[in-house]
Amino acid sequence: MNSSWTQVGAWLQRRAENIAVVMLATMFLAFIIQIAFRYVFNLPVGWPSELSVIAWVWGVLWGAAFVVREQDEIRFDIIYSLVSDRMRRAFAIVTGLALVAIYSISLPAVTDYVMFMKVERSAYLRIRFDWLFAIYVLFAAAMIVRYIWLTWRAIRGDAPTAPDLTTTRAD
Amino acid sequence: MDVASPFSLSLWAILLLSLLGLPIGHAMIAASIIYLLLAGQDMGIAAEQLLNGLYNSWVLLAVPLFLLSAELMNIGSMSDRLLRFCNALVGRFRGGLGHVNVVQSIIFAGMSGSAIADVAGTGKVIIDMMSRGGRYTRSYAAAITAATAVIGPIIPPSIPMVLYALVADTSIGYLFLGGVIPGLLMGLSQMAINSWMAHRLDFPVEKPIPLREIPAITLEALPALLMPVILLGGIYGGVMTPTEAAAVAAAYAFLVSALFYRSITLRQTYDALLSSARSTASIGMLIAGALVFNYVITVENIPESVRTILTGFELTKPVFWLLVNVILLILGCLLEGSTILLVIVPIFVPTAKALGIDLVHFGVVVVFNTMIGLITPPYGLLLFIVAKISDAPLRHVIRDTLPFTAAMIVALAIVTTFPETVLWLPRLLGYQG
Repeated sequence: MNSSWTQVGAWLQRRAENIAVVMLATMFLAFIIQIAFRYVFNLPVGWPSELSVIAWVWGVLWGAAFVVREQDEIRFDIIYSLVSDRMRRAFAIVTGLALVAIYSISLPAVTDYVMFMKVERSAYLRIRFDWLFAIYVLFAAAMIVRYIWLTWRAIRGDAPTAPDLTTTRAD
Repeated sequence: MDVASPFSLSLWAILLLSLLGLPIGHAMIAASIIYLLLAGQDMGIAAEQLLNGLYNSWVLLAVPLFLLSAELMNIGSMSDRLLRFCNALVGRFRGGLGHVNVVQSIIFAGMSGSAIADVAGTGKVIIDMMSRGGRYTRSYAAAITAATAVIGPIIPPSIPMVLYALVADTSIGYLFLGGVIPGLLMGLSQMAINSWMAHRLDFPVEKPIPLREIPAITLEALPALLMPVILLGGIYGGVMTPTEAAAVAAAYAFLVSALFYRSITLRQTYDALLSSARSTASIGMLIAGALVFNYVITVENIPESVRTILTGFELTKPVFWLLVNVILLILGCLLEGSTILLVIVPIFVPTAKALGIDLVHFGVVVVFNTMIGLITPPYGLLLFIVAKISDAPLRHVIRDTLPFTAAMIVALAIVTTFPETVLWLPRLLGYQG
């Protein structure tokens, strides 16, 4: 791999992380604003809660598409971590091709759904729902690209790393 | 069931894809799309379910916010000061550091909703403290740290209970309250095991902290000790919802670390946000997958079919309880807790309801049960984590957790058999059930 490409990749990766951080911070601050308005100023307002929900939906899908590392993924790792590198490559090729095929087949239908949602607007911020939900199309497209890449790597001979079982999860 | 029906094919797809290592959330989304395709339905439904499910589940916002507050508590020195306080309190008894470990986890449980956060916060410090100078074996120190961390999601707040509340449509507030006594019971059972081990293996007695130092140590830890009071007082005083409490917890942890302890930098804040954003996305995908697959389950009327089959056997309550507990304990050895709560538990909920089981009681029992899975081999997340931070061989850690696991299963049996252990406190605060 050409090193300038790797640098560009790393730069993009950091920007994607910046955006994820902004989304989580927005969700958190909007929540605090809402609580402050309600209890301190005794003035219940709706837009902050809507903003935090939007930041949550975008945060999950953006994060899953661009920020989550392979070792962060929640998977059934018992078998996956026991098999040989060669076997894990085969696994990665099968699941990668399946995911690419299934997400690609459904892409036109989900895009239709998202476009159809232009008829509705959000309750407070009056944002059109096709804009709010467009993140799903971006997510699905990014997943397709990501899994083509993972599959290609597995075919070329790089085994996916054995999962790190100690990354933080929510239990 | 027809083996070639869209539903059974999609079930096979989930099994196959996740066994081969595809992230479980994606396996569920992909399988649901296969179902929609084969059943001749619009595949756009997958996006519709996922987006509307995430958009309309207000309670789910508690998940990222609790993750964030735990990160903030751990990078600020809140957790460490709490540990020092517990040491002053119970360190003086035989096997003292073991008891410190339990008490610290109980208090931490009242501040955070996650077992992993407990170990991530003070696990390394306390394991080092215990094993310094060979006082305890590293594997015992690791084992008791893992076991006590399980209390985290039982005593409120609790991320797994938020997930249960989502799938079973129950009040989070009452679920949280229901977890208090079972959590304390779990802690007591662990202290009993620790005392027993201390006498059997002649664990050391620590030099007691002089009494005159205790006020200063308590004052240092006070902001941490106040956190459970603020959270639970806020929720049950009717001032805030559990979701708002999660935001308040994060704000409080941040303010205390930044202003009171002055121990948090901008860089650390960014890292805490990033790490929570990552965890949010990976658990969020699991939730998203469950939301989409839940559509398939509902269309196929699966929970009702399970209820019909199970009640067809003239299943009695005790047999059902035994069945559920055994199945979940076995699954807990193989799967992650949140996966079980989001995917398996909903199948049992209608049957529990039909048998007249209270859904708050049921929820606390299944959360208690699946959290034991965090320390049962071969797949116990906490085991892997403590083995890594303690450098003890995994099999020794597993061996040393066994007495604790046994004690927790006894506690589980008590909580299952006597609904009052769960429901007494919620009823005291107005739960009609």
